[in-house]
Order: sequence, then C-alpha cells, then structure tokens
Amino acid sequence: MAASRVYVYGIVHAGRALPPDARGVGRPPAPVRLLPAGALAAVVSDVPDDLRARRRDLMAHQDLLMRLGTDAPVLPMRFGMVAEDARTVEEAVAAATAGHLAVLERLRGRTELNLKATPAQSEIEALVRADAGVRRLMTQVRRTPSYEGNVRLGQAVAEGLARRAAEAVEEVLPALTALADDFVRGPDVPGCVLNGSFLVPKAVSERFRAEVERFAAAHAERVELRLTGPLPCYSFVPQDGAEPAPPGRPSAQYAVTGS
Amino acid sequence: MTTTTYNEAVACVPRAGTLYDVLELILDRGMVIDVFVRVSLVGIEILKIDARIVVASVDTYLRFAEVCNRLDLNQDATSRTVPELFSGMASGLSRTGAKRAAKSVGGKVKEAIGVAGEDEDEDERAEEERDRLEETEDRPRKRRTAEAASGSRGSGGSGGGRSRGDSRRSEEA
Repeated sequence: MAASRVYVYGIVHAGRALPPDARGVGRPPAPVRLLPAGALAAVVSDVPDDLRARRRDLMAHQDLLMRLGTDAPVLPMRFGMVAEDARTVEEAVAAATAGHLAVLERLRGRTELNLKATPAQSEIEALVRADAGVRRLMTQVRRTPSYEGNVRLGQAVAEGLARRAAEAVEEVLPALTALADDFVRGPDVPGCVLNGSFLVPKAVSERFRAEVERFAAAHAERVELRLTGPLPCYSFVPQDGAEPAPPGRPSAQYAVTGS
Repeated sequence: MTTTTYNEAVACVPRAGTLYDVLELILDRGMVIDVFVRVSLVGIEILKIDARIVVASVDTYLRFAEVCNRLDLNQDATSRTVPELFSGMASGLSRTGAKRAAKSVGGKVKEAIGVAGEDEDEDERAEEERDRLEETEDRPRKRRTAEAASGSRGSGGSGGGRSRGDSRRSEEA
C-alpha cells in the first residue's frame, strides 16, 4: 500500500489555488495537489520511494511553503510527515478544523524571522583583560605549560565569549519582542547562544531587521547576529497535534561549551 | 528568504545557501499530526552530533589558548588590535584558526547535506551524500570526530559560500 501514502507539506484554507508550477519532494519533483477537507485543504504529493532529508528535498519543502505563504497564511508541516493514505489526512485535518482555522488567522499577514546569535571570537584580548579567572589560568599555563592547562584555558575562553554574547542577547531581546507578536526559543543549536524565532507582521519586518542591524553594529565585539527570513511560520504552529506552539523555554545559554 | 550576517569581520559559519541556518526549523519545528509518520532522518542526526563535537572541541579550545598565550597584556592595548593578532598568526596557526575550526563545522554540515553545490549534478550529489551518511553511521565515532575537525576543504565542490572563506584564507597566507 506504499503507493497510496501521501507526503503532507502544509494546511491552507479551502478554495485556494496552488501556484501553477508547484513541485514537491523527490526526483523528479512530485506534482503537488490539494486535498480538500471541509473549510481547509492539505497540500500533498506522492511520497518518493527513497525519501530522505536531502538538500533538494528540504529545499523543495521549504520553497513550496514559502510560495504558499506569499499572499495567504499556511500552516507548515515539519519536514518528512507522511500519512498512510489520503483519507487519513482528510480525517486528521477535519478533526482539528477549528484549531487550524484559528492558527491560520493568527498567522495572516505575518512571517517568521529567525535570529541566531553566536559569540564574537575576535575579542579574546578584551575578555582576558576583563576576566580574572581567565587571566589566572593564562598565568598558570605560561608558568607551567601543559596540554591540559591549555585545554582548560581555551575552554574558559570559550565559556567567557559565550557568556558575553548571551548577555548582549538578553539586552536586545526586549526591544525585538516588542516589535513581534510572539517569540519562541527554538531547539539548541551548537555554537549559538540564542536560536529564537519571532512572529512579525510583514509590514514590520523591515523595521525589525533594521533594529537587529543597529544592535549588531553596536555590539559587534560581543556577539554576531544572523537574521533569517521571511520564513514559513514553523515555530508558531501546533507542534504536537493539539497543543499550540510551546511557550519560550530557557535555552542553554552557553551552548558553545557544549555537552 | 535571506540570511543577513551583521558582523562580516568574524564570519564563523559559512552560509552559501540559507538552508544551514534554518535546518533545525525545517526538521524540528513545523506542525506535527499524531497519526502521521515521519521519514527516517538518521543521517541528519549524525550531522548534528558531528557539528557539536567540533564546536566544543579540544581543537577549538587549543586555538583559543594559543591566542591567549600570544597576548602581551603589558603592551598598550591600543598598539596592537586583536584582528591584527589573528592575521599575524595565520602561518603559526597553520590551517586551523579558531575561525576555521568553526568554519569547518558549517562546512561539514553543508557539504553533507549538499548545501554548497547549487550547480552540481544533483543526482550524483544525492547518491554521494547518501553513501556518506550511511558510511558515517557505521564508522567509529572517533574517526568521525577527526574527520570533522579536519574540515571539509579536502572534498566536495566549490560552493559559493566557501569562496569568500577561501579568499580570506589566501589573504592570510
């Protein structure tokens, strides 16, 4: 029955037209179709035999959702969601219609902007001057050089850089969240002290970008900021069937030191 | 979709495409419906582990320590800026400055998921990529670490994002 499985990209209002040349995952790209379910419709395609998280498939998923979200809201699915058959999709979508409609309204005219912050690595000297602990380790290593000592020193530097970056991020967050309708911290990303997504009205996104830019320029010695978007609103849709997007949870502030 | 980096002086992760920066959103966020199943993402999990190992690696720590050990705190702080220090050390640091260690993280991920090659033959790429992922999975962890740490410069195509890094490298050399 594998042939009848369907790959689900997202959920939209019923009655929408797909972009004329909409293509999905697979090689060659699978044609995309709408699967109506009451007031809603699922955007689906056949499932390629050997579907994996390849670059082209990730991009196909992402690109289709971007296009769907250009002029009307869409609930983006996580990559790789496959249903046994069309009927499973229809039933699942129909059963949650009220919730989905509410979220679609919440996302109307809005977009996701993702902000990642990594420690600036060019200011080790400033860190050393400011951090007595690092200076102490440095003195020890110079007096009695050792591999372990160097590792400890380097680790202390990495932690110090991450701490400075995390402090900088906490300073900018209030101004950014004030411009956004919502903010959630995303999955920890190695090396990042912040991975967060903002739900921003499209009309405000340029102002948001300018604010990030202003702060980044002012604090370049502590933190490097990367803003990505507009994006499908991955972070602002139900993550586990019924629940709304989870509230922000504390991220690992010093991810760069790793675990 | 665009990714904007606001601190060009210290680019620490290459971003040719924008996939690297949103990978975790596409894979870990987005709507889930309980009755749906999910395709296997084994290879991606491996990538994440590799990235973590490199970022928090001993190699990175040793680079930082080396920078520290070259600092002269008695010198007037304004007489020598850290960027100068970095570039002056390029030969001493050989091929693996802290920046590069970080770079190779992105490079590794990018290469393995094939972000780099807009122009490459996708079919070939996909096969290569799948082989790599499966191979990676079977290989002992230690060797993966070493390979990840040594970076991605040895293989793969010449992606757009690497060209800037490459030119930077040659400037420093």
